[in-house]
Amino acid sequence: MIFDLELKNAGKVYDNGTPAVIDFDLSVAKGEFIAFLGPSGCGKTTTLRMIAGFESISSGDMLIRGERMNDVPPQRRPTSMIFQNYALFPHMTVRRNVGYGLEVKGLPRAERDAKVDHILATLDLEDIADRKPDRLSGGQRQRIALARGLAVEPDILLLDEPLGALDANLRKAIQNELKLLQKRLGVTFIFVTHAQSEALALSDRIVVMNQGRVEQVSPPHQLYTRPNTPFVAQFIGRNTVLQGEVAGTQGEDIVVSTGVGVLSGRANGRTADKGRVNLVVPAEAIEVHAAATRERLTRGGTTNLVDAHIESFDVVGHISHLTARLLDGRTVSLEAHVDKYQPGAFPVGSGVLLSWKAAEATVIPAH
Amino acid sequence: MNATGIKFGLGLYTALFIVFLYGPLVVLGILSFQTGPEGGPQFPIIEWSTYWYRHLFGLTPPSRIAPLPIEQALVRSLTLAVMTMVVSTVLGVTAAQAFRRKFRGSGVVFYLIVLGMMVPGVLVGLGMALVANAFGIDRHWWGTAFVLHVVYTFPFAFLVMLAIFNRFDPSVEEASWSLGVSPARTFRKITFPLIFPGVLSAMLFAFTLSYDEFSRTLFASGRDLTLPLAIYGTFSVEVHPNVFAFGVLTTLFSFALLGTYAILMAMSVRRARRVAIQEEA
Repeated sequence: MIFDLELKNAGKVYDNGTPAVIDFDLSVAKGEFIAFLGPSGCGKTTTLRMIAGFESISSGDMLIRGERMNDVPPQRRPTSMIFQNYALFPHMTVRRNVGYGLEVKGLPRAERDAKVDHILATLDLEDIADRKPDRLSGGQRQRIALARGLAVEPDILLLDEPLGALDANLRKAIQNELKLLQKRLGVTFIFVTHAQSEALALSDRIVVMNQGRVEQVSPPHQLYTRPNTPFVAQFIGRNTVLQGEVAGTQGEDIVVSTGVGVLSGRANGRTADKGRVNLVVPAEAIEVHAAATRERLTRGGTTNLVDAHIESFDVVGHISHLTARLLDGRTVSLEAHVDKYQPGAFPVGSGVLLSWKAAEATVIPAH
Repeated sequence: MNATGIKFGLGLYTALFIVFLYGPLVVLGILSFQTGPEGGPQFPIIEWSTYWYRHLFGLTPPSRIAPLPIEQALVRSLTLAVMTMVVSTVLGVTAAQAFRRKFRGSGVVFYLIVLGMMVPGVLVGLGMALVANAFGIDRHWWGTAFVLHVVYTFPFAFLVMLAIFNRFDPSVEEASWSLGVSPARTFRKITFPLIFPGVLSAMLFAFTLSYDEFSRTLFASGRDLTLPLAIYGTFSVEVHPNVFAFGVLTTLFSFALLGTYAILMAMSVRRARRVAIQEEA
């Protein structure tokens, strides 16, 4: 199979010796929507710029559709980049901006016009086609940048935080448009963001990066349910991470002895099954019970019971917000529909029991 | 001191500043309208007249005062200024472009370039004369003096362009490359139009600095004089108000140059505004 993009142990070391990207491995199939997610300075933008050709690759290889691209200059790569600030050409009209790539390719006038008209229509830009971009709104400029990038029909469209400069409402709307557009065109999108919600909403797979390394490559829901590393567990969603030591196995479950009791979770494939581990419990997996129900729960076969005290319990509209403090001092916050935890169910300071199904917690290596 | 007092003080200071700035020019302007040929370059004005302006253009009856020997000098100075402007601006733009990326020795090269505007003109002029003698090179305004003018004005153009590139958003260029446009074409079609206002400023600097350069030219220009040298030459005999009349005319010429510059600058701004108005309508 020929991938649209392959990165093989790709690395980047800056001139001053600082490593920016370390051993980046990734294969992207045609039409995939990939997000690079991570905190600022994690190397996600640098990797994107390496794919575009703006940054050289210090080690490893980069291939697009099977062709090695390491030393190909940006203008000869079948990629096109959308910048966070859009980087539109302020001295050209919207139409000329969008058509500039085709103009330079030497496409005949008529063919070029047809293509530009089509892409302007696709992105709803016909009305402003003859204006200069600097006085247009953020959303419009964003679409112009997209139209310009797509007009040259790249194999891969690279997007560097393209929604970062928009306000929240607009971001939501354009996010949906972007997803639909990508599915319709079938072009491979690689998208850099530090906003989890964007990555989760848009992408087929997410590459979580930290300090220049890839932490995990997974479909969005797996980042939640099966984090691979402590970093992902902390970075994605709202997980409680309990340190402990493997005490044994019980069927598919791994039993871990932690500071708040002997608890169990499921291995995630690459987990070490002995020594020091982390037990990752998503907030969504946790059930809260009154302390008095302990016996009934144990009799009923509920495992993973952890003692806690209610620290706060508020109902806002139809959502109950609940914070409980474990015996080791850490707090767990979670939310649920008001029908589940009704007002007054858990007085502040009262003892409760937290529980979860072993299959919903994940055991990962300690480091 | 209260706020009104401070305001008054600052106002007075500003007024004095302007008097000192434009006083000489005003005196020069007034004296250029002295009557001729008997009136001299001093107050009081015996009678208002445009005699010395007519004298400049040879429109007065012959008198004991010779016409200013500036015709050829003016042509030389303008030619030299244009040559200097073109070469310094090209050098300034390309050098500043090179400095957008750090390169080995960039610090040293930077100071070597800037040194050109720091070293005393008289010394450089004298040095050039000595070097030219040593190598048997003839000194000319279009040769040795031209080189010194470029050495002097290039750093100004360079610094102007450096400031422009400092605020320039390089992602616009990257966007162009990423559309398949070669770096050379990107520079011509994307970068250059965007830095053009800066290029105009660099040109203006180079032109005006070269046009009235004196100390470097004094030793390096050889036999044929440039305008500042020619005017200085007339002082050594006797000063007549015709020099003032000429001064007024060159000042007007400078204003015209500045005006052209302002119009060119305003044009891009107005174009942007027109687009905005159409949008609101």
